[in-house]
Amino acid sequence: MIDRRRLLGAALAATGLGAGRSVLAADAPAADAPAEARAADILHRWYRLVLELVRHTPTYSPPVAARTFAYLGIALHEALVPDTPGLRSLAGQVTGLLPPPARSGCDPAVLIDALLARLVAEFFANTGPTGQRALARMTERNRARATAGVAPAVAGQGTAAGLALAEHILAWAAADGGAVIENLGFPEHYKLNPGPANWVPTNRIPLQQVPLLPYWGSVRPFSMPAGDACALPPPPMYSEEPGSAFHDEAMEVYLTVRSLTPEQRAIAWFWSDDPMLSPTPPGHWLSIALQILERDAPPLVRRAEVLALLGIALADAFIACWEAKYRYDLLRPVTYIRRLIDPAFETVLITPPFPEYPSGHSTCSGAAATVLTALFGAPFPFEDRTHEDDGLDARNYGSFWEAAGEAGISRLFGGIHYRSAIDRGLEQGRCVGGHVLALRTRA
Amino acid sequence: MRRAFLPVLFAWAAAAAAPAPAETAAPAPAVPRFADETATAGIDHTYAGDWEYMVGGGVAAFDCSGDGRPDLAFAGGAGPAAVFVNDSPTGGPLSFRPVPGSGLDLDAVTGLWPLDIDGDGLTDLALARRGEDVLMRGLGDCRFARANEAWGFDGGSDWSAAFAATWEAGNAWPTLAFGSYIDPAEEDFPWGSCTDNRLHRPRPEGGYGPPLALAPGHCALSMLFTDWNRSGQPALRVSNDREYYKGGQEQLWHLEPGAPPRLYSADEGWQHLSIWGMGIASRDLDGDGLPEYFLTSMADNKLQRLVPQPDAAMLRPEFADIAFRLGVTAHRPYVGDDPRPSTAWHAEFADVNNDGLDDLFVAKGNVDEMPDFARADPNNLLLQRADGTFEEAGDRAGVASLLTARGAAVVDLDLDGWLDLVVVNRRDPVEVWRNLGTGAAAGWVALRPRMAGPNRDAVGAWVELRDDAGRVQRRELTVGGGHGGGQLGWLHFGLGESTVAEVRLHWPDGTVGEGVPVAPGAFHILAPGAAPEVWAPPG
Repeated sequence: MIDRRRLLGAALAATGLGAGRSVLAADAPAADAPAEARAADILHRWYRLVLELVRHTPTYSPPVAARTFAYLGIALHEALVPDTPGLRSLAGQVTGLLPPPARSGCDPAVLIDALLARLVAEFFANTGPTGQRALARMTERNRARATAGVAPAVAGQGTAAGLALAEHILAWAAADGGAVIENLGFPEHYKLNPGPANWVPTNRIPLQQVPLLPYWGSVRPFSMPAGDACALPPPPMYSEEPGSAFHDEAMEVYLTVRSLTPEQRAIAWFWSDDPMLSPTPPGHWLSIALQILERDAPPLVRRAEVLALLGIALADAFIACWEAKYRYDLLRPVTYIRRLIDPAFETVLITPPFPEYPSGHSTCSGAAATVLTALFGAPFPFEDRTHEDDGLDARNYGSFWEAAGEAGISRLFGGIHYRSAIDRGLEQGRCVGGHVLALRTRA
Repeated sequence: MRRAFLPVLFAWAAAAAAPAPAETAAPAPAVPRFADETATAGIDHTYAGDWEYMVGGGVAAFDCSGDGRPDLAFAGGAGPAAVFVNDSPTGGPLSFRPVPGSGLDLDAVTGLWPLDIDGDGLTDLALARRGEDVLMRGLGDCRFARANEAWGFDGGSDWSAAFAATWEAGNAWPTLAFGSYIDPAEEDFPWGSCTDNRLHRPRPEGGYGPPLALAPGHCALSMLFTDWNRSGQPALRVSNDREYYKGGQEQLWHLEPGAPPRLYSADEGWQHLSIWGMGIASRDLDGDGLPEYFLTSMADNKLQRLVPQPDAAMLRPEFADIAFRLGVTAHRPYVGDDPRPSTAWHAEFADVNNDGLDDLFVAKGNVDEMPDFARADPNNLLLQRADGTFEEAGDRAGVASLLTARGAAVVDLDLDGWLDLVVVNRRDPVEVWRNLGTGAAAGWVALRPRMAGPNRDAVGAWVELRDDAGRVQRRELTVGGGHGGGQLGWLHFGLGESTVAEVRLHWPDGTVGEGVPVAPGAFHILAPGAAPEVWAPPG
């Protein structure tokens, strides 16, 4: 059996943060087993719906999705702290979170259901009629599941506690700078930076003639002190000179796409994770974690801990990444290649409508891999079935970093990122993950 | 199923050069003036209902009374469908009256399309419904009777919202396609629950056998049999709502006589496109003999043109999106102060100012309280300029309604040679406008191809009209497309300043008629091998 405590210590030592502290132990206090099972069932049902709503709610681009994942995960963890000796609140650790309302002795299923019902309804208040209908049904049915066999007074107590915590989380979230998404994230007014190295629109969609969420780097982070806490070195200096580092990277994209193998193409598609057609890249990583949690069925507190730390990592990864994207404002490969190498160049994947450097997939994957490796260890074999419903076969990995590396390089295979954006993005993700692992979820 | 990611709308769109819409020196097109006659036209009808009627809501325009005027039948959603007889005097105020006891007052109707299914000379109706689809046999005098049992038609029990029909070679009855939407029983997780579409092929003796499944279904909201490559063999285009499918895309089906339908594949050139597909309009806009396709969606719409290919005899279904360049993305409101993206439904090409250039009407309306999309979303009337680009004129023409539109018909209701407009709104009354013209003289002709035999309305024919400037307009006669409804009747062509027009028919059986002159300002019935017959409106 893998000694997770030992692996965790090694992981933390590697980050230089919290070395030697076993803050993420997998064991959990004994709990009421039926209530635990009910609560875990409720949790996974809600998260399944959350991943669908991410896909079907128009404002849910990857940064927005990651933000919601963080708040949901933190809320879950905080819900369990009062009744779980040894757990430590994240209040006072993640930026701006005040201690939640005091309470004790709640049925965890009722509590979690009330909490998630309120949070999901609020975070997805703008979803369409079908999402609203599904939300209503899920609320009704999960409520019945959560309260089955629970005394009314106990159910009432758990519900009240869940709702109180939800309001506490929502009030905190409202002030982070990312709560309001206007015009689907594309600003009404935005002036493109002139110059050959800078990003220009890459498609004919009118809305996307300006880039997505240019202010996201200033959204309040959770574990990082600021959006630029994991700043990156600049990309290779822009040059149109053959033989320059920049031109070489563009040529690598061009030649890779032209000679793509079936396996490389499959990798590109598997990690494409387009908004509105998938749960987005952070949702992909959340899906991986949920599959593992369902497979291994750890205690409830452990599930909440994983969802909290992973959610924070994903959210902070996009804040850090977006801060760098708009700091460097680099043009996409398709723009450069068509301008200087081959006007007929076509990418394999859809080029996202925002600057290139670093790769968002890489930053979020690096952060996720850092946190999940600390939580579960390495090697850690798992199967990723995220896209089975969409007809993409499951893929198997021996570790989270293997998956993260594949997610990163998939963007080069897809023709939408240079290698530097991938390599530096993964490094940035590792840095973000380090900040997350400095948080203490256990006393 | 593997898929090739190519163009995908809205979320992240396919990489492509992004030129601004072309600056044009073309003169501004004349803007017709539409009079809102909703209050006086005698049509009191609403497409009603909640979640299960968030889509659909069409209108069928066709002559069911036998006087040559287009009558109107409307889907009612949770309420009954209804038919209204057209009593409008030629060139006068629009006037309709309901038909009590029409037999059409079924509920759960989402869409309705006119065609003569049994070849008896009376137009029938295909009704798409939330539940069993129904074929209604026309009895004359705008009365109809259910014909499912008599015609062996299995209407299923799904949630349908799309329909198309064609006459396959050698068949006396049409082949029918019904497009299915979501499985409403999947309340918790409706996404990914799209049910199969159905293809009903006729039996040799008439009527229908069991339907074939057009699987996989991807939640179709519009279907159209169309001869996209002018091979003489229509294929079935299906526009699908990506909100509900998983692993889905837009579709094009081969339909070869006697063979099972099969999807065009990526190897054959079909490109993956994933949109909130809601409506299809087709027209040969560039005069190359091949149809362009306008596809409605949310936040953005597509206008597809076949990419140039070296072998015209072996065309591949590879399309380029030219909506941005031609100015027909129609992606957000153009009046009012609502900056949010639009939601488009029915689309229809029609020459509303009679300048000989097809214009484009698009019905707009929020799905249902979607806060990220425009609430006050005006319908579009995009007028084509001489250089092929379009400009918005809905507000200047007086048709920029802010109600929640779904279906529509651009049709000459008063038979004065100017196309009028009827729009079906969700939870609000139908609106009707009369086209009062541009104030300038502009010619037109109206044509009605008719054939002996079962396919009396020559569905599948191509009409070519050449004016005295040598300009050729081409049009495919189809049943289907749009959103929730369609037309059968006079084909209207604007002529601009041309005083001479010559028309030639490519009949569905492959024969090509001689070019024959038709007089501007008149209605003509066209038959194979016969001189055009001038028809005069009643009264």
